[in-house]
Formats: sequence, C-alpha cells, structure tokens
Amino acid sequence: MGSRGGAKVLQLSRASRMRTKLQTALEASVLEIEDVSHQHAGHAAMRANANNKDGETHFNLKVVSPKFEGQSLVKRHRMVYDALADELQSGLHALSIVAKTPQEIGPK
Amino acid sequence: MATIIQLSPIHTPSLRIFSSHSSQNTPSLSFYLPAKALTFPSISLKPYTTAKPRALVVTSAVKSLSETELVPVPAEADEIAGKLPADTGVYAVFDQNGELQFVGLSRNIAASVLTHRKSLPELCYSVKVGVVDEPDRAVLTQSWKSWMEEHIKATGKVPPGNESGNATWVRQPPRKKPDLRLTPGRHVQLTVPLEELIDRLVKENKVVAFIKGSRSAPLCGFSQRVVGILENQGVDYESVDVLDEEYNSGLRETLKKYSNWPTFPQIFVNGELLGGCDILTSMQEKGELAGVFKK
Repeated sequence: MGSRGGAKVLQLSRASRMRTKLQTALEASVLEIEDVSHQHAGHAAMRANANNKDGETHFNLKVVSPKFEGQSLVKRHRMVYDALADELQSGLHALSIVAKTPQEIGPK
Repeated sequence: MATIIQLSPIHTPSLRIFSSHSSQNTPSLSFYLPAKALTFPSISLKPYTTAKPRALVVTSAVKSLSETELVPVPAEADEIAGKLPADTGVYAVFDQNGELQFVGLSRNIAASVLTHRKSLPELCYSVKVGVVDEPDRAVLTQSWKSWMEEHIKATGKVPPGNESGNATWVRQPPRKKPDLRLTPGRHVQLTVPLEELIDRLVKENKVVAFIKGSRSAPLCGFSQRVVGILENQGVDYESVDVLDEEYNSGLRETLKKYSNWPTFPQIFVNGELLGGCDILTSMQEKGELAGVFKK
C-alpha cells in the first residue's frame, strides 16, 4: 500500500485519508484523529492479523459536525463508520468516537 | 501510615542480628507487632464481652449507631445513587419493623446495600450508613466493631445476620452466566441462516452483548469495559463471544452486516442496536442507562 505517492508516503497514511473522508462527508468543524494502535498491539485480534503489524488500526476520533444535529448516538457513529467504510474494510479495526454537534460543545 | 508500621517489624530483626548491642530503638518498634495483632482479628461477638469497657480506645471514624440517621432503601438501582454514598464505610441494615438485621462494612456502601436489597428485599428496608474517610482497613474494622458493640450493649443481642454461621448476608459469589453459542459447532450444517439466529437471539433476549472473548475473560479492552458497565448496572444480560470460531463461526462478518455496525463490542437492547463501547460509556456517564434497561 502507499506506492502511488512515491516519496509522499506520509500523505497517504490512514490517518490523513480518514481526515479527508470525514471532512468531506461530515463538514466537521472540529476533527481530531489520534492513532492509538500501539495501545492495542498485543491484543488477540491484532496478533492474529499480520497485516496489522504497521499500526494504524485503532484511532480515537473527535468529530464536531452540524450534521449530527438531531441524530442519536448510534446514527452519529454510523455516519462516521459510513464515511470510513473503505478503511474499515482494509484493516482499520476500531474507533473510539466522540461525536458532537457545535451546540453541544458550544458553552465551553 | 499503617503499612509503614507493619513493615518496620520485618526490618528490625535483621538489624538486631547485626548490632545486638544497639537495641535501644528496636523494642519500641517491634512492640507494635503483637499489639496490632491483638487489636482487630479477634473481635468476639458474644454479648458477655461487651460488659468489659473498651480497653483499646481508638476513636471511631463514624458517628455512633444511635446518632446516625435511618434512611429508607430505595427499591430501584438508579434511585440509590445520591441517596447512599458509593464510599467506604459501615452500614447497618434494618427490616420493616426497624429491627437491626445486619452490620456490614464495604468499599462501596451503595453497591453493597443494593446487592442486599436485591437478594433480601424483605430484610433490607432501611439503612444507617457511616462513611469512613480513612480507607485504612483497621479504621474500617474499628468502625464496624464500634457499631456492633453499641448494638450488643443496648440489646444484648448480636444482629441476626452477624451471628456466626449465618450466611444470609454473605455476598454470594456472582454467578457468571455462560456465554451463548449460536451454533452447535463449526462442522454442523445450519438449517437456519446465521443472520436469522442473530435476529432471534437479540429479539428474544432483552440485553445481548456481542463481545470479544467470554464475559468472564474478555479479550479486548472495549469488551471488558462493556462487561464492567453491564455488571455494574446489575443488568441481566446475555453475552456472545464473537471470537469463538467453534460455536460462533462466521458470526463477526454476519453480525456486522446485520447491525450495519463495523466494530465490536455491540450491545443490543430489545432487539435494537444500542451501540458499542463508546455509546454505552457515554450513556452511563449521563445516567441514561438505567432507563434504557428498565423498559
């Protein structure tokens, strides 16, 4: 993977692909992506899959999007998962998602 | 502090071996060992002993039993929060007639009382609680002892639940349900599609958690947290190990499609996907879970 970009391998990291996809799909006003794969390096499912050696399997996400307005948590998470469907197909294993609307974080 | 005192006697003997002549400071330290050993393990519950004035005056960390306010025990788990502290301390349980039934100590008074309320609703009508700020075991034991002694002194009786041999109030080890299996085995041809088995399972059971690993030994941190939250809520739930290739072969892929949810764990309530670990956690933090499980 990542042969297209040649020298610009970093540009093709899963994290940056995720950023683009989420930004496009959800018009997020806040988008934090944190790779926490190392915390899960030892766990059973990860050891079983050799493709996951190079990490980028577990992420913490914080997304603030006006599109979450009026949506249940399940729906919000589904919207995130839908945007990242390809990644989930190709080795992205788990996301920890905080999905909020601009209003919900407003008072801060 | 107590741990330091406990440790020092261990060190002193070796010191004494090397310098037996300079033993001036060691006796005072090693003196703690027998004194301490006498203090708490040997509380006798026989009424006779109470006539004896309390020789070891350790100021109790809690108010006396009679001074403590009696609080009715709420019937529902979600009402207990706020009414009873989830702190370390002692508690005295009274039945409907105001008879003291049991004095216990706990690291989480609210949880312990809730457990009693569930297993012994008729005996667990109201409680008195005394929070012990000092988390030290000796202080806790002392508080328990002071309540016991006060009651014995006043009535001449040991609370029935505290009589030796009475196991009514002893916490039963939580019986862990076995995880559910969807199929009889990998090599058995299914007559019903897996998808339909999932559908039936989540609709016939109020709460189902699809987790990685078994409920007694979850293999992933998120599944572990989910099990913890469900146990904490006292929810009667079914669990299914999605990593069990023998009895749940193919479940992961099928379930992902069934629920339109790409990750595990997944929690279903009344046939509907409630969400994964994040959603369960966030609902717990907002105090929304009890309502969901009650319906």
